[in-house]
Amino acid sequence: MNDPQQPRLTPIDEWEDEAAAMLDGVEYDTDLGLRMARDAIRVSNGELSDAEFHEKYHEELLAEFGEDERPTKPEGFDDD
Amino acid sequence: MTNYGLVIDQERCIGCQACAVSCKQENNVPMGQFWNRVLTEGGDKIDTPSGGYPEDGGSGSLDMEYQPTACQHCENAPCVKVCPVNATYTRDDGIVEIDYDKCIGCRYCMAACPYNARVFNWDEPEQMPEEGTGDVAARPQGVVEKCTFCSHRVDEGLDPACVVNCPADARIFGDLDDEGSTVSKYINEYETDQLLEDRGTNPKTHYLSGEMSPGRPQTSDKMESELDDVSPWSDGAEDVPSDADGSDSSDSGGSPHSIEGDAAPHVPAVGSGGDD
Repeated sequence: MNDPQQPRLTPIDEWEDEAAAMLDGVEYDTDLGLRMARDAIRVSNGELSDAEFHEKYHEELLAEFGEDERPTKPEGFDDD
Repeated sequence: MTNYGLVIDQERCIGCQACAVSCKQENNVPMGQFWNRVLTEGGDKIDTPSGGYPEDGGSGSLDMEYQPTACQHCENAPCVKVCPVNATYTRDDGIVEIDYDKCIGCRYCMAACPYNARVFNWDEPEQMPEEGTGDVAARPQGVVEKCTFCSHRVDEGLDPACVVNCPADARIFGDLDDEGSTVSKYINEYETDQLLEDRGTNPKTHYLSGEMSPGRPQTSDKMESELDDVSPWSDGAEDVPSDADGSDSSDSGGSPHSIEGDAAPHVPAVGSGGDD
C-alpha cells in the first residue's frame, strides 16, 4: 500500500494500478471493487445511469456483502 | 437548499501547510494520515517544493505552484455510489460524510475516488497526544476516513478549520446555492476550475487562479459576532466583488458564510477569542 496515504492526484493512466493497490488484501472481492469504481466514474460523467449501475451490480453485491444499500436504487426496484 | 462549497484561491496560497496541520488537529487525524494537504510540483515527492530563492537580490522570483487537495465533496460522488452499506453518503447540505459505525472497510470508495482523498485505518489509530486533539472522536481501526468540511463546526455556524486558519485568507467557504454568498460571488466573478472536470464528478471545491481575489473577507456568523473591528488594511466595499447586476445583496437573508451587502471584509483580530 502506498504510504503515506494522503490526498493526491493520480494521472488517469495510472489510476487503475493505484486503485488495485488500494484494494490489495481486502477481504472482499477486489475485482468487483475495481469494476464498480470504473463504472461509478462512468455514472458521474453520464455514460451510465444510476439505475443501470445499480442493476448491474446488485446481485454481485448481495452475494458478496449480503446487502445492497446503495443510494442508486431506482424507484420500484425489486430487491429480490 | 444549502449546498456547501469551497473556493481556494491558488494565487493567494503560500503553501504553508497551515490548512493541513489545522485539519489534522481539529479532526483528530491519526499519525501518518492526512485528510488535507498541499501538493507542489517539481520536488522529489508530490508535496516537496522545487526551485530556489532569487540570487543576489536579482530580479528573479520564487514561483511555486501549490495545489491544496482534500475531499472535493463531489455532487456526483463515485464513492457514494459504490458503498454497499451506505456508510458514505451525501448530507442534505451537500457535504459527503462517512458513518463510521456502518463502514465495513471494503475500501471500494477509496478505489472509486479520483482524488485519492480517503485514507484507511490499517492499524489502531495513534494520536499525538494520546488522548487526541480537536473536537472529533477518533475513528476505529478498519474504517475509511476523510475530510468532512468540518461538518461539526459547520453545524455550529462556523467555517471549517482549514478556512479559519489559512493565514493567506485563500480559502472561502459557504453556500453555493446562495447567490449572495462569498463563494458564489467569487465563482461568478473570477475564473475558477474544478479538479478532473472530465470525470463529471462536479466537485464542490473550486480553484481560483489567474487573478488574485480579496480572499476570505468574512468569517462565519458566530465568529463575526465576536469581532469588533474590521481589517486595518481594508477600506471596505471595493474589496468585495460586486453583484453581477450591481444590486445590493442585503436581501440574501444574512446566511452564514456570506457577505451582507456592502459590508466591509472582516479579519479576525489577534486574540479576539477565536472560535473553538
